[in-house]
Amino acid sequence: MVLPSLLKSCLQLSCVLRTPKAGFRSTTSGGLIIQSISNDIYQNLAVEDWIHDHVNLENRQVLFLWRNSPAVVIGRHQNPWQEQKNIKLARRRSGGGTVYHDLGNINLTFFTSRKKYERMENLKLVVKALKALRPQLDVHVTDRYDILLDRQYKISGTAAKLGRTTAYHHCTLLCNADKFVLSSVLKSPYKGLKSNATPSVPASVKNLFEEDPSLTYEVLLDAIADTYAMQHQIDNHITLINPADETVLPGINNKTKELRTWEWVYGKTPKFSVSTCFNMVYKDSVLDVKVDMDVKHGRIEVCNIYLPEQWLPPALCSELVKSLTGSKFCPNEATTLATTLLRLCPQDDELHSRWNLLCENVVTLM
Amino acid sequence: ARKFTDKHEWVSVENGIGTVGISNFAQEALGDVVYCSLPEIGTKLNKNDEFGALESVKAASELYSPLSGEVTEVNAALADNPGLVNKSCYQDGWLIKMTVENPAELDELMNEDAYEKYIKSIED
Repeated sequence: MVLPSLLKSCLQLSCVLRTPKAGFRSTTSGGLIIQSISNDIYQNLAVEDWIHDHVNLENRQVLFLWRNSPAVVIGRHQNPWQEQKNIKLARRRSGGGTVYHDLGNINLTFFTSRKKYERMENLKLVVKALKALRPQLDVHVTDRYDILLDRQYKISGTAAKLGRTTAYHHCTLLCNADKFVLSSVLKSPYKGLKSNATPSVPASVKNLFEEDPSLTYEVLLDAIADTYAMQHQIDNHITLINPADETVLPGINNKTKELRTWEWVYGKTPKFSVSTCFNMVYKDSVLDVKVDMDVKHGRIEVCNIYLPEQWLPPALCSELVKSLTGSKFCPNEATTLATTLLRLCPQDDELHSRWNLLCENVVTLM
Repeated sequence: ARKFTDKHEWVSVENGIGTVGISNFAQEALGDVVYCSLPEIGTKLNKNDEFGALESVKAASELYSPLSGEVTEVNAALADNPGLVNKSCYQDGWLIKMTVENPAELDELMNEDAYEKYIKSIED
């Protein structure tokens, strides 16, 4: 990702960022624009964490520019089972709803002290940058902190995290994302799920590129960095950072690792319950099955499976329920459990096929 | 008597148990709370430890323990009604109850008057 029109260098970031009152040679108010060289969602989220934890933002503000290869990103208190399946999934630490990232989406993170936390100001800066590029562009900020194009299409969504002394506000900007993939991955697959996890609010979206094909990723990035530099009276100078470099960002690889864990992505889901009825077709009959599960920290706390009497040996069914209780709400784990239990059964083809049918259906719920 | 931290949490101790919540200033600044992430009963906290988060209009805001102690109760009403934190931040919108391991820590906190003065000073 080379932007030839702007000066860039890989400074020893840790020196610059961690020295409390150090500014750049010619900065007056203290500001820094940095851009990630990585397209990995976990690495980039880890950079946000690192800055949030380690940088003194008392007299300084930081703008972090990043983009990711395809991934779905859920908010801190959302339910991944409710939101999507089948694509790289990450949970961020800020609140809010689910978004789809790909290389056609620009992420902007505005870091400030907690006192100076001001989302509207940041979004107005983005709108200012867009209008400086194309004065005819109809873009404005709503009171929900979305940016709308032509009064109807969402081109940016916002989320934030407030810490003890620092805060960050990040937002997306749809430049040229794959809208087809976006709408298919953001469709909720789940019925019968009850929880008080933060819901997502669906919206009509449009890419800036569709409005004006000259608005490329590079052009937009430049314009935003330009406007930010002007506003904060700092050099229009983007520092590149490598989110895997421990010498510049000590401890970052541990943060990245944590963001990848099952415990973080799935285990941090607010308690929820699944209650669903479905039909199974077996030979000439249709069976009604009901499954209720309470899931806490991503693990099945309570499990009940209601089947027609004697369709399967009751002892086997209660073994299944017992094994599922306490295990992860995860298709791989459930399949392994089911297979293990089946090995303890007599070699009865009829039994095996009934068992497999039931377990397949239960695993589909996960 | 209610004591306050400079991060806008309050604690009120009765019979050795401290009830913790956030101040009116904080709930106003946060906006409508949509989700409360609170610790498990039995969690041991040190003063200033992060014990949870409140999510409001897409900002997740961390909560910091005003004292050292063990969590004895968590406000279950907030699961279905997180807005209680806004509607009644000093009464029904309490967050956790905890033991007070080190009563001297209370002296480090602000009383109501001092907190009012503090808010005024940061608002400028």
